[in-house]
Amino acid sequence: MDIIIAILVTGLTNGALYALATLGLSLVWGSMGMLNMAHGSMLALGGYMVFTMAVGVGLPVWTGFVAAAAAGAIFGGLLYFGVVRPLLKSGGPGFETSVMIATVGISIALENALLLSFGGQPLSQPFAVAGSVNLGAGVMPWLNVTIVVVAVLVMGAMGFLISKTKMGRAIRATAQNRDAALLMGVPVEWTYLQVLGLAGALAGICGVLLSAVTQLSPTLGADPMLKAFIMCVVAGLGNLPGAVISAFGLALIEAAVQFGLGARWGFPVLLMLVIAILIWRPNGLFGRAQIRRM
Amino acid sequence: MSDTSIKISAKTPAPAGNGMRADLAIGIVFLVCAIAAPFVIDSKYLIGQLIVGLFWAAIAVQWNLLFGYAGVFSLAQMALFAVGGYGTAMTATYLGFNIWMAILSGAVAATIFSMLVGLACLRLQGVYVALLTFAISNVLYLLIVTDTACYEMIGTTCRQFTGGPSGFSRFGDFGMRPVLRGDWVKGNYAIVLAGFVLTLLSSWVIIRSPMGLAFKALRDNQGYAIARGINRFHTQLLVFGISAFFTGLTGGLYAAHFQAIGPSVFSMNTLLFIMAIAVVGGTGTFWGPVLGTIVLMVADEVMRDAGQFRTLGLGLLIAVFVVLLPRGIVGRIGDFLTSIRARQNAPRQGD
Amino acid sequence: MAENNTPALSIEGLSAGYDGPDVLHGVTLAVPKGQIVTVVGPNGHGKSTLLRTISGLTRRREGRILAEGREIHKLKPYQVAAAGIAHVPQGDLLFPEMTVYENLLMGAYTTSDHDQIAERLAFVYRLLPRLEERHAQVTSSLSGGERRMVGIGRGLMAGGDVMLIDEPSLGLAPLVIEQIYEVIAALRAEGRTILLVEENPARVAHLSDVMHLLDDGRVVWSGAPEALLDRDELLSTYLGG
Repeated sequence: MDIIIAILVTGLTNGALYALATLGLSLVWGSMGMLNMAHGSMLALGGYMVFTMAVGVGLPVWTGFVAAAAAGAIFGGLLYFGVVRPLLKSGGPGFETSVMIATVGISIALENALLLSFGGQPLSQPFAVAGSVNLGAGVMPWLNVTIVVVAVLVMGAMGFLISKTKMGRAIRATAQNRDAALLMGVPVEWTYLQVLGLAGALAGICGVLLSAVTQLSPTLGADPMLKAFIMCVVAGLGNLPGAVISAFGLALIEAAVQFGLGARWGFPVLLMLVIAILIWRPNGLFGRAQIRRM
Repeated sequence: MSDTSIKISAKTPAPAGNGMRADLAIGIVFLVCAIAAPFVIDSKYLIGQLIVGLFWAAIAVQWNLLFGYAGVFSLAQMALFAVGGYGTAMTATYLGFNIWMAILSGAVAATIFSMLVGLACLRLQGVYVALLTFAISNVLYLLIVTDTACYEMIGTTCRQFTGGPSGFSRFGDFGMRPVLRGDWVKGNYAIVLAGFVLTLLSSWVIIRSPMGLAFKALRDNQGYAIARGINRFHTQLLVFGISAFFTGLTGGLYAAHFQAIGPSVFSMNTLLFIMAIAVVGGTGTFWGPVLGTIVLMVADEVMRDAGQFRTLGLGLLIAVFVVLLPRGIVGRIGDFLTSIRARQNAPRQGD
Repeated sequence: MAENNTPALSIEGLSAGYDGPDVLHGVTLAVPKGQIVTVVGPNGHGKSTLLRTISGLTRRREGRILAEGREIHKLKPYQVAAAGIAHVPQGDLLFPEMTVYENLLMGAYTTSDHDQIAERLAFVYRLLPRLEERHAQVTSSLSGGERRMVGIGRGLMAGGDVMLIDEPSLGLAPLVIEQIYEVIAALRAEGRTILLVEENPARVAHLSDVMHLLDDGRVVWSGAPEALLDRDELLSTYLGG
């Protein structure tokens, strides 16, 4: 029974973190058809912002939180103006690959900038939530509870934004049919900027939470980003709720496998599961086949 | 939409005759420089770097065939490279093949593996292919790196069947040392260059053949191509197989040159570097990967002096290149030449 | 203070195209307020391009477009929409994963006045009761005719001065086409200003005030709809009888 609790605790915590990471990636992908390879390093950026604020400047932790979201949003904006807008303008079918490679370059640069500024050794975040909750057969550390709660709140807020507000509708409309959105009067370029800013803020917040459970290092975001990519595609492109569900599902499976077969089997089993899913459902678990206009 | 049927692109490519002459000219220049290099350069380090450059260029050419020409976004290229290298090492070690047979076996193994991957990807499109190929590549890597079962004892150390985390070494080389002694590296260079030229030549032939046209048709407008009778199944398997053969061959040459192969060849960073080479040079162009390799390797060398800013600089450089030249260097040159030609051919416009 | 005879939409010498040569050559026509002007012609000869260029989706190469006397040909697509030009595109271009209600709401994107939006929605539901029935249904699950109605409803939600409607009968069964034309007739009775594009003039003759025949991107004939139907030679030359 305590194994089950342990699996649930790990699975839920990781699921919340993966879901947050995946949400940002999926949002950008669904809206713009763009795979932001710099997403992982933006997670690290968020973590380091909090560290700087709390340790470097000595401000209370919550300001660091805000700073992380802001830094992420600003970086997203910079990505838009520096990379995405010029590439969209030059047009053409190569946009997806070009933007992928360009963000790879940015990611390498950002990671190294962080490395040069803070050094390569892992740092510990100064905030800690001590103690744990007794769940009968096992315990859940308060830190994990906080992470799950915060992540769920943030995702809930995002969900509300996307489904109930005018801005969210514009984002969805642009993702579903760009030309039609233009005809409705949606300033599509600004929508793209908003999406990148939102995704950046999400990445920053995710980075903060992630660095609280593990340690802060420039390559903090590499592994989550990889998993987020997998979960996005498995869920089906641009499917936000699906991505969140996949994240929790796959995290729980990963935790179960790790507890059952050993830590190093987690990722391989996940991958084999993904291979199987893709062969069974070529458009992802929840995705729909894209109707191609000739 | 009915109105797009009249579209006559001003970017209609020049007739094949012109293209072939240009390719021949560039090819000769390249060959001359490449052959002259070992006579002009004496630094073992530089020759070694040229060899590595030839490896990357070869892989980039094959990846470009798969992605740039056939539109298949595969992330398994380094896995194919690895299968070639490991195939070489393992047939030499376990079956006692001489190095040439071993390299050939590696290439064949890579081809078979790739066609299986191609089969798995048949129903998939776009980024799903990327994910599947990525997953397969990673599973292969993990299988090797987490292999702990002792297969045989080498002296006092245990070696796993797949070589495990430490890989294979000392299974045979090109045999240049007894012949060229100190200059053995130049001998290796010659062999690797020959392999590269073979790869490049075969690519050229394929691209210019009806098969190449079929690839491009499937990339540009799949539904239409299929409607016109292009068999997607055959064509996709073919392109997976062909690009794998030469990638595997390159892997074998790599293993023979370094006399070692290990799981580090699966590195995502190398794959990203290869993709950056193809994109910077120009995907879907013939000379793009070659030019891209030259540019990025030169940049990398130059950055070596920048010390700790080297990686940072390289990353920024790649991003800047792609944003400013989204169709790559060769693509940009091509556009420029086309626009000159168009202006020359344009009828005078009356008022 | 605007003169009463400033056309709602005025197109002067418009040339436009995609990657290659021009698709439209010096097109000139006007859409007077309160009238339905129909552009007919063989497929692939520029009718949709005309509407797309007005909306700013296709780049204009020469000429002017004026909405109530104001130049709009340099505006970006979202600005053209905000200027009061509502475009119901060919093939609907609905938002497939949004409900009927959300699609209609998107139609009113350029408005922030909630009361106005509510008014327009009520009007659309009165005119197209099927949409109210299915307002919570995702549009990808609707029939062809219902999708067409959503498209028109979206255009009405914009509350604009001019509606551009591109081939409303495309791909629909004859009975459904009848229904759609009834809707357009109702809009005409209301005094709406519409620029309509259709392939077959016979179907829309009774709805139109003026017809223009577009061939190879040029206006080759303009006049009253009955006059076009009388000209057999025009009909057979350009429209295959």
